[in-house]
Amino acid sequence: MSNTAPNRILGLLLVLPALAVIVLLFVVPLASSVIGAFETGDGFGLDNFAKAFELYTSDIIFTVVIVSISTVLIGLLSVAIGGYLVLGENPRAVAILRWLYRWPLFIPFIVVGQILRTFLAKNGLMNNILIEAGLITPLQAVSFLDWRGIVIAFVWKQTPFVALLVSGAMSALDRSTIEAARNLGSSRLRILFEIIVPQVATTMMVGLVLSFVTMMSVLSVPLMINAQSPTMITADIAFRINAYGDYGVANALGLISLVASGCVGWFYLRQTMKERA
Amino acid sequence: MKTILQASLVLGLSAAPAAAAELTVMTAGDQNMVDYINEYLAPLFEEQNPGNTVRAVGTGPGDSGSQKIVERFDAQSQAKTETWDTDVAVVHEKFVGPMVEGGYLDAYRDRIPTGKLVTRANADMALGANVKGYVMPMFNSQTALAYNPALLPNPPKSYEELAEWVKENPKQFGYNGIKGGASGVSFVMGWIYAFGEGDANKLMNGPFEEGEAEKWTSAFDKLAEFTTNAMLTPGNAGTLDLLSRGEIAIGPVWVDMFYSWQANGQLPPEFKLVLPAPGMPGQPMHYVIPERAPNKELAEKFVELATSPKVQAEGIVERFNWYPGIDAQHVQAELDEETWNKLFTDVTPEELANYGKPFPIAPYNNAILEAYERHVTN
Repeated sequence: MSNTAPNRILGLLLVLPALAVIVLLFVVPLASSVIGAFETGDGFGLDNFAKAFELYTSDIIFTVVIVSISTVLIGLLSVAIGGYLVLGENPRAVAILRWLYRWPLFIPFIVVGQILRTFLAKNGLMNNILIEAGLITPLQAVSFLDWRGIVIAFVWKQTPFVALLVSGAMSALDRSTIEAARNLGSSRLRILFEIIVPQVATTMMVGLVLSFVTMMSVLSVPLMINAQSPTMITADIAFRINAYGDYGVANALGLISLVASGCVGWFYLRQTMKERA
Repeated sequence: MKTILQASLVLGLSAAPAAAAELTVMTAGDQNMVDYINEYLAPLFEEQNPGNTVRAVGTGPGDSGSQKIVERFDAQSQAKTETWDTDVAVVHEKFVGPMVEGGYLDAYRDRIPTGKLVTRANADMALGANVKGYVMPMFNSQTALAYNPALLPNPPKSYEELAEWVKENPKQFGYNGIKGGASGVSFVMGWIYAFGEGDANKLMNGPFEEGEAEKWTSAFDKLAEFTTNAMLTPGNAGTLDLLSRGEIAIGPVWVDMFYSWQANGQLPPEFKLVLPAPGMPGQPMHYVIPERAPNKELAEKFVELATSPKVQAEGIVERFNWYPGIDAQHVQAELDEETWNKLFTDVTPEELANYGKPFPIAPYNNAILEAYERHVTN
């Protein structure tokens, strides 16, 4: 009994630095921007939100739609990559894929934006190759530097991350279930979707939720590829601050994107709680 | 013994001011601004003031760079700091007014000899705020329409003609909206000067009236329609990029960037500029010295050097193709005719005088940007 009290204090002291860092660098700024979102010229109110929705509703919808499409594509591609790594029958192709797919992980978003800006432009590398190959005529060339460019950038950058998690989970599965299905003559596609994917669904969800939240916060890609209309919320937040010095509406927009990410997080939590119950 | 002590004390005191003061120069703008100070101004200054060093700090391109400097001053003023961390700052026009109103700046212009070489109005008034005495312009920059004569031999000479031309030639005009850099902002301001039903001079000189915004509705409707026929480019450099690759035939650019790109070979030499009627805005960048700068005397010497006719000629006009900050006649004497003429090949001094406009005063500026967001991008 006499032993526990000092122990408890010691324990508190040990977590104090970490706690202080979280409070000072995360909780305090978050609280101040939440409060800032409701601060108006005369006291507190919803004016900032009214203005945010008046000017940026289309951008908010655009952001959520773009990020959702990207998340779905990332999910499909990472299942395809993970599936091939587990079920692929050509060892050389599997080795090459295993070596290649992780590369974009190490490239920062701003560099992705830069690469794709020159790659996807109307007279960029992609269209030049297609024209040289005779697949399209110069008149058919279009610039992909709009919402498609953002989706391509996001999918390209985030797929390896989810694929890494998914393929790890897939290779940790009990091979016997796969072998059993194969012995009974089911196709590889069927094994993938009916045996493997259900077993790695939780891991995949974690990866996708993390990707969703990461993509919501990327500023460099929309700025470099498509800072026009409609654009992503992050570009609007930067514009509000840089052009008007208006932190109120910027905070309101930040809170809106926090709510969007929060919804996904909540959905994920509910799902895992249900599974545990 | 006593004399030695006294002598060393006197020596120490007299040597102290010369002993390695570090002058901190904060600058908004692209990397080229930091390079300009580090590679050109600092060595010159250090040569003239031995023992002192210059440290340049870049705060980032565009308005956001200046915004950061303002916020730094705000913070130090609220914290009641005795000496601030900045000796000289280089900021955009829009941010000088708030700094003067906040009482952050020192009125140093009349104390330095180059102060009387500036008579242009934008050194006294910055977007409607009286800043006389507090600023020295580093340079003046101007926006204009750059065009590719191979695709467009006879460029539109006015906003009116441009609007007509774009209707007939969709997707041949490109600009960067208002979120990708100031050349697009400038184009939009010029559009409101041209088509707004109010008085453009009121937008440039004030006073600010809330109701003025209603007079822009039809101009913005027209701009929204115009924009559907325009290409939207990703930034100031993006417009030049698309021009150089032949994806667009004409678009608004900063004159200095245009000439620099041409000098680097990033733009073909035959590309040209036209300044359309009734005019497009340009803006100066200003040198300011905080009231509580740690090395005020040196700071004044630094600005004096930077605004001397020789430095303005070599550094500003020759190196960067900017229009000089001090009055042109003082600079012209320092330059050979060829260099001087290069600056005025496409846009003549008369056109510049007639069609080179200031940006609207700050509240109108913000109101126009927000109206653009409401009408054109929503």
